[in-house]
Amino acid sequence: MLSKAAHGDVAAKKKKGPGALATAYLVIYNVVMTAGWLVIAVGLVRAYLARGSYHGLYYSIEKPLKFFQTGAILEVLSRVFLTWAVTHSVREVQSEDSVLLFVTAWTVTEIIRYSFYTFSLLNHLPYLIKWARYTFFIVLYPMGVTGELLTIYAALPYVQKTGLYSVTLPNKYNFSFDYYTFLILIMISYIPLFPQLYFHMIRQRKKVLGHAEDYSKVE
Amino acid sequence: MDTLALEATGSKKAVNGAVAVPPLVPVQAPVKRKPAKKAKKAVVFFEVEILDAKTKDKLCFLDKVEPNATIGEIKSMFHKSHPQWYPARQSIRLDPKGKSLKDEDVLQHLPVGTTATFYFRDLGAQISWVTVFLTEYTGPLVIYLMFYFRVPFIYAPKYDFTTSKHWVVHLACMCHSFHYVKRLLETLFVHRFSHGTMPLRNIFKNCTYYWGFAAWMAYYINHPLYTPPIYGEQQIRLALIVFLFCQIGNFSIHVALRNLRPPGSKTRKIPYPTKNPFTWIFLLVSCPNYTYELGSWLGFTLMTQCLPVAFFTLVGFIQMTVWAKGKHRSYLKEFRDYPPLRSPILPFVL
Repeated sequence: MLSKAAHGDVAAKKKKGPGALATAYLVIYNVVMTAGWLVIAVGLVRAYLARGSYHGLYYSIEKPLKFFQTGAILEVLSRVFLTWAVTHSVREVQSEDSVLLFVTAWTVTEIIRYSFYTFSLLNHLPYLIKWARYTFFIVLYPMGVTGELLTIYAALPYVQKTGLYSVTLPNKYNFSFDYYTFLILIMISYIPLFPQLYFHMIRQRKKVLGHAEDYSKVE
Repeated sequence: MDTLALEATGSKKAVNGAVAVPPLVPVQAPVKRKPAKKAKKAVVFFEVEILDAKTKDKLCFLDKVEPNATIGEIKSMFHKSHPQWYPARQSIRLDPKGKSLKDEDVLQHLPVGTTATFYFRDLGAQISWVTVFLTEYTGPLVIYLMFYFRVPFIYAPKYDFTTSKHWVVHLACMCHSFHYVKRLLETLFVHRFSHGTMPLRNIFKNCTYYWGFAAWMAYYINHPLYTPPIYGEQQIRLALIVFLFCQIGNFSIHVALRNLRPPGSKTRKIPYPTKNPFTWIFLLVSCPNYTYELGSWLGFTLMTQCLPVAFFTLVGFIQMTVWAKGKHRSYLKEFRDYPPLRSPILPFVL
């Protein structure tokens, strides 16, 4: 979630056209990612309609979520981490509302983001998509971050109780790792990182949307 | 730790083509660097103006500058009018985006007219290399000993001021301490630095790295629940041999490099093997000091069988490889006859 903006902006700044093969690959990649996140979104909606509640929503989209997370090696570490190292690993967390919160936030963000890239690559970017990309984040970022933090927080007691992913002394490699402390440090790291990224995106928004008076389609 | 002081030759392309050659000196193309002809009776003074590289503001104007003045001397003059910018933090260049001129460059050999225009960039607060090295190396020495003696608040109170029952832990302490004492002494008596200073923020970065890793390693090695190496005495003995061999090797290289450079000078020459067999590795490697350093830490890793030590070795290796490749490249650029068989850090490999 946090480095998304950084990656996104780095990619968006690349105006020089890639070669034909690279373009084709990127287009396909982005289309697939858009489709994947759409699948997840549709899955969420259908599951909700079927169950009539938010509970158990995670299971309905678990497989595609895992696939599209790990398949995207280029993706942001925090998203993979949240999915695998927290949400998947700590079963008890999967029924939390906080999971729904960040999954929804990511889903919407990603659909917009990948459409943005796809259209950019094809040199046919509708202003609406650009506007959406630089405006929705204002709500989606805090929403996603809140969901992530709440999820990690919810996982803490279980991690402490079970000693998940933790290594204690003595052992022959003379090494130890406390996953519980690690998670707390991760949470603390949001404090400096999130505002930086958020305000960076706000500045980007002013720059990109500020002087776009016309509604021309082509970038 | 080594920086790449790439040579900026004075003989660059003429700047703007508008070069006024001072009269009374035979007309020669400004790009050629000939020895100054001082047999002239009349000396033409230069005027030097220094502009800010970013804002192009005129910061300083010096008149009656000797033609054989060096950039270093000009920096001192500039410092007088702007006391907050001591020479070490001045970067003087011919072009706002160009490379820094060297302190040794002589004014009249630069492609400038009698009124020379230079651009200034502030390099930020500087700190001397010696200071940085002494600080960053004293830390690990002291910190490791604190863990070795099990100073309170590190381990459980019942272990305060106790000592480990494993003799390898004592050996490791001796090796670690020896290594950093060696580094401190080399800083004081052996190394000859190309650059006097580095940016101030480096000291925080470097100390965090050295001190942090030292604490992390020392915590486990001196821990009451430390597990000695699997293969026991054999492993430890082999590790010690490797460690000592590489310590001597590293020291030999440092001495050889020092001897390449006369005292007070900043010359650079190709290093070659000497009578000392530990320097014969120069045949295969450009930066054997790093090769030996890697070897030392591999030995220490083997000796302690401690994963944090392995991490430290790995990170150090990556950094040294980056430095070695850079140094190797600048050697190749500077010397046409540089031995082709050499690799930057690992013979034939890297």
